[in-house]
Amino acid sequence: MDYLFAVLLSSLSSASILLIATIGLAVVFGLMGVINLAHGEFIMFGAYAALTATQQGVPFILSIPIAVLLTMIFGALVEILIIRRLYGRMFDTMLATWGLSLALYQCAVIIFGTVSPGIGMPQMSIAIGEYSLAVYPLLMIVVAASMLIGVYYLLTKSVYGMKARAAIQVPHMARAIGINSSNTNTLTFAIGCGLAGFAGAVLLPIVPATPSMGFAFVIKSFLIVVVAGPVTLAGSALSAIGMGGGASVISSFMTSVAGDIFFFALTLLLLRFYPLGISSRWRFKL
Amino acid sequence: MFKISNATGGYGKTTIIRDVSLEVGAGEIVALLGRNGVGKSTLMRYVTAEIPNWEGRVELDNALLPDTTFGRARAGLGYVPQGRFVFPRMSVIENIAVAAATNGHKPKQAVEHAMEWFPMLKSKAAALAGGLSGGQQQVLALARALAMKPKVLLLDEPTEGVQPSIIDEMAGILLKIREESGIAILVAEQDLDFCLSIASRAYVMERGAVRLAVDREELRQNKELQQELLGV
Repeated sequence: MDYLFAVLLSSLSSASILLIATIGLAVVFGLMGVINLAHGEFIMFGAYAALTATQQGVPFILSIPIAVLLTMIFGALVEILIIRRLYGRMFDTMLATWGLSLALYQCAVIIFGTVSPGIGMPQMSIAIGEYSLAVYPLLMIVVAASMLIGVYYLLTKSVYGMKARAAIQVPHMARAIGINSSNTNTLTFAIGCGLAGFAGAVLLPIVPATPSMGFAFVIKSFLIVVVAGPVTLAGSALSAIGMGGGASVISSFMTSVAGDIFFFALTLLLLRFYPLGISSRWRFKL
Repeated sequence: MFKISNATGGYGKTTIIRDVSLEVGAGEIVALLGRNGVGKSTLMRYVTAEIPNWEGRVELDNALLPDTTFGRARAGLGYVPQGRFVFPRMSVIENIAVAAATNGHKPKQAVEHAMEWFPMLKSKAAALAGGLSGGQQQVLALARALAMKPKVLLLDEPTEGVQPSIIDEMAGILLKIREESGIAILVAEQDLDFCLSIASRAYVMERGAVRLAVDREELRQNKELQQELLGV
């Protein structure tokens, strides 16, 4: 009984970690129709930004906002230099961001080398019966939930959220009511990247910064967004919990390979029955 | 108050409008008449800076308007384009609220105001704009432009594809709004009756230029001109 509870809790925490890594991708895809294959490298960017900040003596908790800010600035530059020239050309965007992903990976190898020191996980754990679980990964459940609520609120209720949606739906009309569409789009992309940077930083104690960390995330994140479908935010939450959580349960009973097999098999199965994503008939906006 | 001087512009290398000058005073409703393809919509897009300005100037309250479309909107230029272009995956309320908020007005008040002016939007308030009928979208596009509290309102074919009862309602509301806020309205139209019911005078365009300016009485009595405009 205790074992089952401990497994469920740690699986929920793995699913939350996956969701944290996915939300930025979901925002950029859901709002702008841009599939950012460099999303994983933005996570890496955030992780290295936070790592470098802590090495300079900044407390870990403060290194997170620094990482978010730096990733947002970098994301804004990428939007201005690359993405804005390619709106409405999904495949070209994918190709361009894939190229960017390779370039960023190489840059990280050159600057930081292939192995880098982890930072210690805050050493606290709670006991469930005879099992002991580290607190920090469990905290990620709360982080994922607040991130989801915060982003949902920002995009559906705030004035910025309305402007962002208007600017991407009918750009010329958005301008005609006074919205500076291109600035708004830059900000939206930067926010998506900032969320990736946040993921890299907040997950740093769990997933150490390495140049190739992006690849590990981007495939699963990408599949979650695809399975989620048009209602990207709520859909991603559900598919992250179902697919990520399920895979994690399987891997605790069997092996992590079995967990991955479950993840990809479930993706295939869901896309077979919901080719447009599980949320294709839902009625909310995001 | 609102003044276009020597407007010249077009698409690519093709000149569509040539040397157009016109003026709309505060609280005045002026019609822009002419058959299909004479450049009425192009003039509208020239004024909103959606197409490049080759020559000429657009002034509001004796000040030159900014060069960008969004800058002109914030300076007080409202625009209801032909084809409406509501934001399809946003609710009716959001369509109105975003226009108000962008121009520094309280979204909640703007929505309330719009619902008073256009009661037909009330039952659709939470619906996505893309699912509305053509006439409802036209009314929403008008409500959205008015939520900006513009000083000048450009209407491009507001009656196109709209049922007669709604056209009458729109005419009544435009007159009321003009009364209340002293807004200047320039309306490009094919529907002569609609123009005669709201506009005090009109410019007639032909091949990208203004051919003549007439007042309402003249237009009402000149059957020859009417027939020419209606194309019968």
